[in-house]
Amino acid sequence: MSTLHTINGSPTSALAQQFLAAISSGDAVLFLEDGVYHTQSQFLPAPLPENVKLYGLREDCTARAVLEKVDAKVNLINYADFVALSCEHDRVISWF
Amino acid sequence: MADDPKQTLTFITRSAPYGSTRPQLCLDMALATAVFEQDVNYIFLGDGVYQLLKGQNGESIHAKTLGKALETLDLYGIENVFVTADTLESRNLSEEDLLLDVQVIDNKTLQQLLAKSHTVFNI
Repeated sequence: MSTLHTINGSPTSALAQQFLAAISSGDAVLFLEDGVYHTQSQFLPAPLPENVKLYGLREDCTARAVLEKVDAKVNLINYADFVALSCEHDRVISWF
Repeated sequence: MADDPKQTLTFITRSAPYGSTRPQLCLDMALATAVFEQDVNYIFLGDGVYQLLKGQNGESIHAKTLGKALETLDLYGIENVFVTADTLESRNLSEEDLLLDVQVIDNKTLQQLLAKSHTVFNI
């Protein structure tokens, strides 16, 4: 019963505080649109529960010039992977 | 799971009452869902808790008073209304400041509610 959380706002947006409260062990987090600014090591959400996989949408990272700085803990994916990831989880919660 | 006639739908409302239409949209969706006799959870998170402050009067800015509209949650049979303790504490609020009888929950309970939901609307 895991959840995919999609994060759509930058680390300084109000939702950065909110989504942390909702993430459970075994969930996945995908950074997209302005959320990709989270992908640098100093902006990764913390503290996260154990066993939470992190993903970043490559297209949005490229557009915003953050691709080279993405932390190794973040798996870069494309749109097709995004669809697959959505199907693999029981629900998607969109934080925007 | 998708074939169950009765689903659990959770609505998270995260915006303050008068700055955008998000709170009203969230309420409208939840009420419509309740009409179809689904299980509804309604969660105030972050600035969304400002919707619950007693003493609101939207007339002064030519807006509907959202706090009054929230009283319809009960009329539509939505009894599972929550706010997280962190949300209250970080805004220096207590239950006495709120116009609805809400259940104050910790983040673990929030996570459990989400994990039991078929669908989560987060706006």
